[in-house]
Order: sequence, then structure tokens, then C-alpha cells
Amino acid sequence: MFRGALSIWGRDMLVLRRGILSELIAVIAYPLTLYLAFGFGLKGYISEVGGVPYPLFIAPGLISMTAVNAAFDESSWSMWFHRRVQHTIEEYRVTPITVYDIVIGKIFSGFTQGALKGAVVFLVIALCTPFRIDYSHLPAYLLCLSISSMTFSCLGTICGTVIDKPENIGRVQSVVIVPLIFMAGIFFPLSSYPAAVLPIIKLLPTTAVFEGARAALLLGYLPPQYLINLLLSASIAFALAVYTFNRKMAE
Amino acid sequence: MTIAVELNEITKSYGAFKAVDRFSLQVERGTVFGLLGPNGAGKTTLIKMLTTLMRPSSGDALVEGFSVLSAGKSVRRVIGVVPQENNLDRYLTARENLTLHARLHGMRPDAYNPRIDELLEMTGLAARQHDFPDTFSGGMQRRLVVARALVHEPRVLFLDEPTTGLDPQSRRALWEHIRGLRHAMTVFLTTHYMDEADALCDRIMIMDHGASLADGTAAQLKDAFSRAHVYELELRGDGQGYQELFAGLPFVRSVERSGSSFRLTLADEDSLKPLMDCLGGAEIRKICLKEPSLEDVFIALTGEKVRE
Repeated sequence: MFRGALSIWGRDMLVLRRGILSELIAVIAYPLTLYLAFGFGLKGYISEVGGVPYPLFIAPGLISMTAVNAAFDESSWSMWFHRRVQHTIEEYRVTPITVYDIVIGKIFSGFTQGALKGAVVFLVIALCTPFRIDYSHLPAYLLCLSISSMTFSCLGTICGTVIDKPENIGRVQSVVIVPLIFMAGIFFPLSSYPAAVLPIIKLLPTTAVFEGARAALLLGYLPPQYLINLLLSASIAFALAVYTFNRKMAE
Repeated sequence: MTIAVELNEITKSYGAFKAVDRFSLQVERGTVFGLLGPNGAGKTTLIKMLTTLMRPSSGDALVEGFSVLSAGKSVRRVIGVVPQENNLDRYLTARENLTLHARLHGMRPDAYNPRIDELLEMTGLAARQHDFPDTFSGGMQRRLVVARALVHEPRVLFLDEPTTGLDPQSRRALWEHIRGLRHAMTVFLTTHYMDEADALCDRIMIMDHGASLADGTAAQLKDAFSRAHVYELELRGDGQGYQELFAGLPFVRSVERSGSSFRLTLADEDSLKPLMDCLGGAEIRKICLKEPSLEDVFIALTGEKVRE
């Protein structure tokens, strides 16, 4: 069971291991820049948000953003590349594994990359800045990070499966993923939204990702409404990814 | 006769267009079977259905007794596939490409490592096993794809236009590998190179528009076509006026002229004497029976029009 998925995941990890250093430098640079620019640049203007120092307020979201972006990128581009450029998906499909093995293997690769890169950014921020947390909060935060990475890995897999032109993957990122991430309160509290919009914003899966991450890391628990949102989003995204891939392969 | 591949009225339609139309075939185990056809004849569609990459619209096919419709996984367990394009993983070394394939087939390291050593040796890639495929020539990449298809010791090997784009040396080297597989497994190959089919195949089928047009050994196909009685005739002088004369003869089926040379297709063997009578005092430099090549058979059956 899932022998094929494990083999495909193993292949992706082997490739990741080869380029891990350059990958991590690229991955760390972006959130670290944002942390330094916003966390320190705006510290003089915004000292606290809801009693939390601003650098500490944005850090959980930045780490989660790295993780979900990495999960989405890896899944979408990898699926697209293997399907449209290398045609290795066709090679997998003439071996005695199922399409479920392929899609699950790819989703887990995205998830692993997301979780790994998120963890590395966390370490770098912890090492290089005064950012400190209560480490007993870590399990709740890692749970949130894992489910979020899984959801975005599934979304990336769907994009890599249905989109044929590479520029359209970039467009989905710019038009859907980035606004969803930035609307979800990484840099500002949700209370900034007008009361009429707030209920909709709270329903966004990305709000559960970032607000959930903040609560988990700073308070040590994942609020139930965000946990349910995260689990539901991950389950729906997983079912959709498997269905979409299966359907595409049957065409 | 033990059947390795059997197709029963298999059809693949795209709306009103039928890429493969009620195609039936039996391929004996241990033979090298060649499917010939022009571009768009339906060869690749047929291979995709046999390798479970594509589901037939109707009909069924059995590979080593397993149905492509109901036992796809079992079919994939016994087949090896060399697709038209080199779908190697450029981020894995040559050896890692073979290892991944073995793992996808559920092989254990103690089984696949010696097998991979043997195949790398056989394909002349042992010294380059730790290099990435992007650094290989086209011929080396093709040999690696063949090696990959053989890792799990398949019972039926499908090769879809295996030598397209290769230089003559690489083609011949690959032919040698394929010849080496004869009798060890059933080889099902598609090609539009006549010399390749002639050199490799025990049995050839010519298909076009999704249907079979002719079936037999290369010799049988040429022999069947030779009954058309094609003669090459060369006259002294420019041969002016003879084209109309030949075209008007009731036993001449077709006339092609190139200067003083003519290529005449006669109705039968008995037409030769009246032809000679007609030529009368003409000065004949040469007349000979044209032995058909496999390409002549192919062109006669599929036409000369270039396909898109």
C-alpha cells in the first residue's frame, strides 16, 4: 500500500537533498527580509498589537507563509514539470502503481518541503533576532503548520494538474494565493477590517492558517474554529486534488 | 501458439473521429512484431491502450492474458515501455533513474542492484551511470530508456518509434540490443522506418486510418506486392512519345517516366510479350523486373500524400 507514493516521495527528497543549501538561502531570504523590514522598520510606529510586540506578532505568520508558499510552489511546479516537460508522470503510469500513489507522493513532497522550509525559517528567526517563544507551544504550532502545508500542497497539485501554460501558475499565485495570504492578517490584526467584512475574512482558510499559527505559537493552543477550518480545508483540498488528477489522467 | 498480445475489436474514438477502428490482432509470444504506418495512422494510440495509458472506447485487449480494462495493474507488471520521447528524469543520475523504476515495480535492492549493473553493462552506460541524462547524447539517452524498460524483466516490451531522431550508428546499436531480446520476450514495436522493420521484425502489420491494411513477414509482404509486376525499362534516345504509347496499352496499369527511363506496372506476367511486340524497333537499353522493397509495399498501401 502506497509503495509507489513512498518511492516518488523518496525521489523528490533525494533531489531536494542535492540542492538544499541554495534552496534554503532563497527560501530564508524573503521572510527574513520582511521580518527585518516590518518588524524592525515599523517597530517605532507600531510597538504592540493587542499587547504583543509587533515583531513577535508577525513572526508566526511569516514562518507559516514560508511553509505554505513552499508547499504550493513545490507541488504546482513539480507536478507541471513532471507532466508537461519531463513526461515522467507517463513513466510512473506504466508501472504497477496507481494514480493515487502518484498524487499522494507529490502532495507529501510539497507538504514535506513546506514543513521543512517553515521550520528552517523559524530557526533562523529564532537565532538571528530577539524573537523568543515558549517551546511548550511548539506542538500546537507544528500541528497548524503541517495541516496548512498539506492544504497548500493539495492546491498546488491541483494547479500543476490542470494548468498547461507555466505563466498561468504564476498568475494563480499573484491573483489568488498572494491576496489570500496578505488578507489574512499576517501584518495587521483582523480587527482592522470593517465589521461587515470580518465574518467573511474569518472563514478564509488562510485566516485559519495565520491566526491559528499566531495563537498556537503565542498562546499554546489552536482555537477550535481555526482547527476545524484547517482540517476541513485540508480534507476538501486533498479530495479535490486526487479527483482532479485522476480525472486528468483518464482524459 | 501461445499468445502474448491479443486485441479484440478495439476502438478509440474522439467524437466522430476514430483513431483506431475495431482493430483485432494476435501476437505470438517471443516474436518481434512491427506495426508500420504513416503519421496519424493510430500506432501510438494503439500502444497507449495496450500499456493502459489510454482507455479504449470499445473492445478489449489482453497482454499476457491480462485485460487492459479490468487488470491494468497486472498488465503494467508484465510490460516494459519505451515511449516516443525520452521521458528520463533529468534530476536523477542514470543509475537513479533505473533504481526509481525498480522501486516502482516493488523490487528489493538485492534484486534490482545486480540487474541494473547488468543492464548498464549491456547498454554500454556503466561508466556513465552516475552522470545525469542531460549530459548524454540522444543515442545514450535512448539506450538508457530501453535499459529502464528492462529493469523488471518484462514479458512484453513496447517500443514506440524507438530510433526516431538517432544517427545511423546509434540506430544500429539500438537494433543490436533489440535483436538480443528476441525470444527472451515479446517485442511490440512501431516504426515508420522500413529498414528497421525489415531488419528486426518477425512479423509486420501495416496500418492506416486506424485499421490494418496488410500483415505478414517482410518477405511475404514483398512477395504479395511483387505480383503487381513492375518493370523498369530504359530506352536509347530521349523516349519522347513512348509515354502516351504505354499509357494507351490495355495491359499497362501505370506509367512513370524519368527521361528515357520508364517504370511500368503491368497487369500480369503474360503482358510482357505484347509489351515487347509494341516496342517493335525501339532501341532498348535495359528492361528488368523491379523487386519491391518494403517501402514500395508501404507506399502502395498508404499512398504518397504527405500526412500532417
